[in-house]
Amino acid sequence: MADGRIALTAHLLRRAGFGATREELEEAAARDYEAVVEDLLHPERFPEVDEDVMGRYFGWDITTLGAAPWLYRMANTRRPLQEKMALFWHHVFATAYSKSEHPVTLNRQIDTFRRVGMSDLPTILLELSRDPAMIFWLDNNENHRGEPNENYGRELLELFSMGVGNYTEQDLKMAARAFTGWTFTQPIPLYPHGHYQSSFVYDPEAHDDSEKSFLGETGRLTGEDIIDIIARQPATPRFIARHLYNFFVADEPQVPAWSVEPPRDPDAIDAMTAAYFESGFEMRSVLRVLFNSDSFKNARHRKVKSPAELVTGILKLVGTHRFPQPGFEAYAEATKMMGQELLNPPTVEGWHTGKEWIDGGTLNERVNFAVNEVAPDKPGVQSFIAGLTSGKTSLPPDEMVERSLDLAGPVAVGKETRAGLTRFAETSGGLSFATEEESSLSTAKAARMLQLVVASREYQLA
Amino acid sequence: MPRPHGLLRAGFPYLKTIGMRRVTNTPVDVAIDGDEVVYVLGRAGEITKLSMEDDILGVIAGGGSDEGKFTWPVSIALDRDENLVVSDEALNRITTLTKDGEVVRTWGDPGSAEGQLDRPAGVAPDAEGHVYVADTMNHRIQKFTADGEYILGWGRHGSAEGELDMPWGLAVGDEGSVYAADWRNDRVQKFTPEGDFVFALGAGGSGEGQFRRPAGVTTDSDGDIYVADTGNNRVQQFSEERRYVDRFIGDATLSKSAREYMLSNAKPNRLREMAVLEPQKRLRNPRSVKLDAKGRMFIPDYMSFRVQVYQKEVIPLGPSGIIPPLRSPTLQVT
Amino acid sequence: MEGNGKPPVLVVLQLSGGNDFMNTVVPYTNPAYHDARPLVRVKEEEALAIDDTLAFHPSAAPLKDLYDRGTVAVVQGVGYPNSSRSHFRAMDIMHTCEPVALGTEGWVGRAIRELDPKKENVLTGVNLGRGLPRAMSVPGVPVTSVGNLDSYGLLTGISEERQREEALDTFKSMYSPAIGSGPVMEYLAQTGMDVLTGADQLKAAPATYESDVEYAGNAIAGSLRDVARVHTAGLGTRIFYVQHGGYDTHANEMPDHPVLLSDLSGAIMDFMQDLRDHDASDEVAILVFTEFGRRMRDNGTGTDHGSGGGAFVIGDRVAGGLYAEYPPLAPEQWLNGEDLRHTYDFRGLYSTVLEQWLSLEAAPIVNGQFEQIRPFVEAA
Repeated sequence: MADGRIALTAHLLRRAGFGATREELEEAAARDYEAVVEDLLHPERFPEVDEDVMGRYFGWDITTLGAAPWLYRMANTRRPLQEKMALFWHHVFATAYSKSEHPVTLNRQIDTFRRVGMSDLPTILLELSRDPAMIFWLDNNENHRGEPNENYGRELLELFSMGVGNYTEQDLKMAARAFTGWTFTQPIPLYPHGHYQSSFVYDPEAHDDSEKSFLGETGRLTGEDIIDIIARQPATPRFIARHLYNFFVADEPQVPAWSVEPPRDPDAIDAMTAAYFESGFEMRSVLRVLFNSDSFKNARHRKVKSPAELVTGILKLVGTHRFPQPGFEAYAEATKMMGQELLNPPTVEGWHTGKEWIDGGTLNERVNFAVNEVAPDKPGVQSFIAGLTSGKTSLPPDEMVERSLDLAGPVAVGKETRAGLTRFAETSGGLSFATEEESSLSTAKAARMLQLVVASREYQLA
Repeated sequence: MPRPHGLLRAGFPYLKTIGMRRVTNTPVDVAIDGDEVVYVLGRAGEITKLSMEDDILGVIAGGGSDEGKFTWPVSIALDRDENLVVSDEALNRITTLTKDGEVVRTWGDPGSAEGQLDRPAGVAPDAEGHVYVADTMNHRIQKFTADGEYILGWGRHGSAEGELDMPWGLAVGDEGSVYAADWRNDRVQKFTPEGDFVFALGAGGSGEGQFRRPAGVTTDSDGDIYVADTGNNRVQQFSEERRYVDRFIGDATLSKSAREYMLSNAKPNRLREMAVLEPQKRLRNPRSVKLDAKGRMFIPDYMSFRVQVYQKEVIPLGPSGIIPPLRSPTLQVT
Repeated sequence: MEGNGKPPVLVVLQLSGGNDFMNTVVPYTNPAYHDARPLVRVKEEEALAIDDTLAFHPSAAPLKDLYDRGTVAVVQGVGYPNSSRSHFRAMDIMHTCEPVALGTEGWVGRAIRELDPKKENVLTGVNLGRGLPRAMSVPGVPVTSVGNLDSYGLLTGISEERQREEALDTFKSMYSPAIGSGPVMEYLAQTGMDVLTGADQLKAAPATYESDVEYAGNAIAGSLRDVARVHTAGLGTRIFYVQHGGYDTHANEMPDHPVLLSDLSGAIMDFMQDLRDHDASDEVAILVFTEFGRRMRDNGTGTDHGSGGGAFVIGDRVAGGLYAEYPPLAPEQWLNGEDLRHTYDFRGLYSTVLEQWLSLEAAPIVNGQFEQIRPFVEAA
């Protein structure tokens, strides 16, 4: 049963975070599952990543930094769910660098997700609607009284809260009008002295203050009113819950199919919806229900890892980059090569997830990246090798396979993968550390075994 | 040179700005030679030589890990042979270059044993040709010959007097005393040339005489101490006796190269007309401060890709120009 | 379009960063050019004249030689309305042919789908570089991305060959068809096997290639040499994608841009010679494009993002010469008072290549009908 606890805790820490080192995993598995969930839900109990240290070493030209500092934070935070929720909202409220090329507002948007990501949905949507990066991305700065630009209003309803089929085209037009005049201050241009911040500003001159009807409510509705009405709609928590399910539990079809294809697990959606209304729209309460549910606990390996999850998971496994070092940009580049350029999603729909993370090119990148990271001299690989034998001087081939799969995840594998690994272990004759010569040979074999595990099909799954 | 009896501090006005984005990217430190050439060290590894008129006189070094290149350079200083000494905290290496970028010598071994380095930050050559190095992750300061032979060292991780927490900038003052920006302890410490503790200056905070992660320190011939108070986006000035004197938050104007650039950029010119420009004067994350022989203060304005220059104006006073120090303050000020 | 009976092959060569077209094909006798570019210009006496008004940059001498041989079509004033000055957005538009909405399907990917509708050859489209340019990205269309032809494939980080073979054997059994393991696992298995197949086929290319042409040591020369190696190996590739970066010449344009042009034009010259030596030049055309041109005025040491640019179609079956019109240079005709005005829509250029070279129906690929030029020699 102890092994079952390890596997369950590893599952929780992979999904609600970015994986764990073996020590972190064993420590958490020794505790009550629900207590571990509570710690995840309360990031304020743990210190933040040291901003000063990040600034000192990663503080160079922000336009060339890209997502590297964020990825570093994912791999090193002691508040993993806070960071995972920032990534979740980035998937849902997908805003891309490609349009503005203005990194400071984009980074601040992610900061906002970090700050309010687990609070109540009206707060989250209000912050989103006031976010300069989002306002520019969906043209709300062009949304003026008498000349509405409906882009933000449309996506707020279609992609950010309710999903198609739950409002009319007329509702959408009214929502857009309610957000007229929500704009931002002009930042100083990049040249000659670098980027400057922008902040939300409400322009009453541009705001359409006339009477509007939205989802059955009528009045001189403002953006705030629209958000409050959206938050109260039954469709809203169901839509957000499906996003949460897709992100944290198991792969769903892509968002455009949601209006025609029912959810994989309607009961899970119902439970999250109930928690949403009971708690006054609070995400933390919804997540609590989610992580403590059997449908979550039983959903192991039912999701393809996103590139960010794969890269951070490997970093935890090999134990490097726990402190800022040169070359970390390569890891952000790696996620890009695997199809996920953080801070630059392809469209407002965000990344297509699940099976769509995989094609010939991205699979090649994923496998080669993971294999190349697993080098015998890295601290995580050394403790993997030490853990394999746990003091014994030799290990037969079958145990070598079992122990490797356990220490690398645990990873549950199908018979093809097991057969492949077993054949490798048998050919290599297991491990022996009796003499110095055998030790050095076995160290290399053990590292190769770990490389093969991370190259497997099953390792592609979260 | 003996100090005057006192100083009439006439002013410390902003003088000019040199450099701009793409010319002086992410400047971490500067050195100024007797010919008024300003060597601006960029975090990406290049050293841009600028005149005081903001003309580019050349670019030396550059990014990389080969000899004469830099990966994570931190500090630049002129030694008594008029060569440039540069630290690199990624390569754990100290490089001496001629002003034309020819490598004179490199040294440094990674590690924590005596004489080894773990992320060397500040470098400060003294008048005898020795070099002090802030050995950041070993939380100590070490003194080497110009060739990198270990002479002595002091400090260990902590916050008590004489202890250090990730020290950054270094300066050599009068009679060879050593000033260190004790970065993570939010203070500056002064040591004798042998490493004996003399005093500490400052504490964490944003008030007068307080610091948030100070990166750079220097002194001038009047004995004044200048601290790049990086996290508070300012430079503070203190007297030799640690009395807070003044602070600089930035007053930049467009450099000559910036003006030329903007004249061919119609759209950004409109955007500047739409923006609040006040923040553009301010220092952002200054990582060092240096003074030249003419009392000009150079601040590498890291996040703003430029160097702000101020002119110190003081008149030396003899015994007849200033009365001896008073024990208490007084309201009789006429 | 087949001149030698072999299926036509297109090499798309992207100049990333926004090539300064005006300093590539230079209006060297036009005073408006010299006025607008006091510091970043080609001097009249140094330019390689095409005619009384236009000249190649002196560093593009090999391109000028090819032009004189009649194998370079210069397509002038390429652009589209309301040109984006963002690299990303502009490149997206060039890749998806969607200047207004955000497109998700790339035009090259669509062309590959038409060329190989049954997905019979994973090498129909080959990208030389890591990651897939959006131009080639269409869901369900397999494209092979080759970062480095000599070390292409899975587990290439394992340097010892026998150990790598052993690891690949294990990979093969771990990815062997897993019937009944669910669609995701089956898909992963299939994809893994496809990668192995593609890599095995590509391995043949370096092995069979021999050439007397000595390419230069720069990146674009290496990429075009890789194209030659794969093409001459006869693996059935119909579209190659190659990128040459560094054209974002905001600063130091005078020293930097000539190096780019010299690397580029030298590489194209060597590539064409290599193909001719292999009797493989008749079926190959190169399309050289960039995301935008640069501003009329220089900024002291460089030039900033602009709009109207230019492109080239190069090959032994190309009818060399000038196509479309050079953008008007008089200041009162500048777009928004600072930009070159485009005279020819890039989708027309793509349509030209798709229909007249690859014999594909262009409209569904480029999202509409656009005016074509006639830059190819009519088949005999």
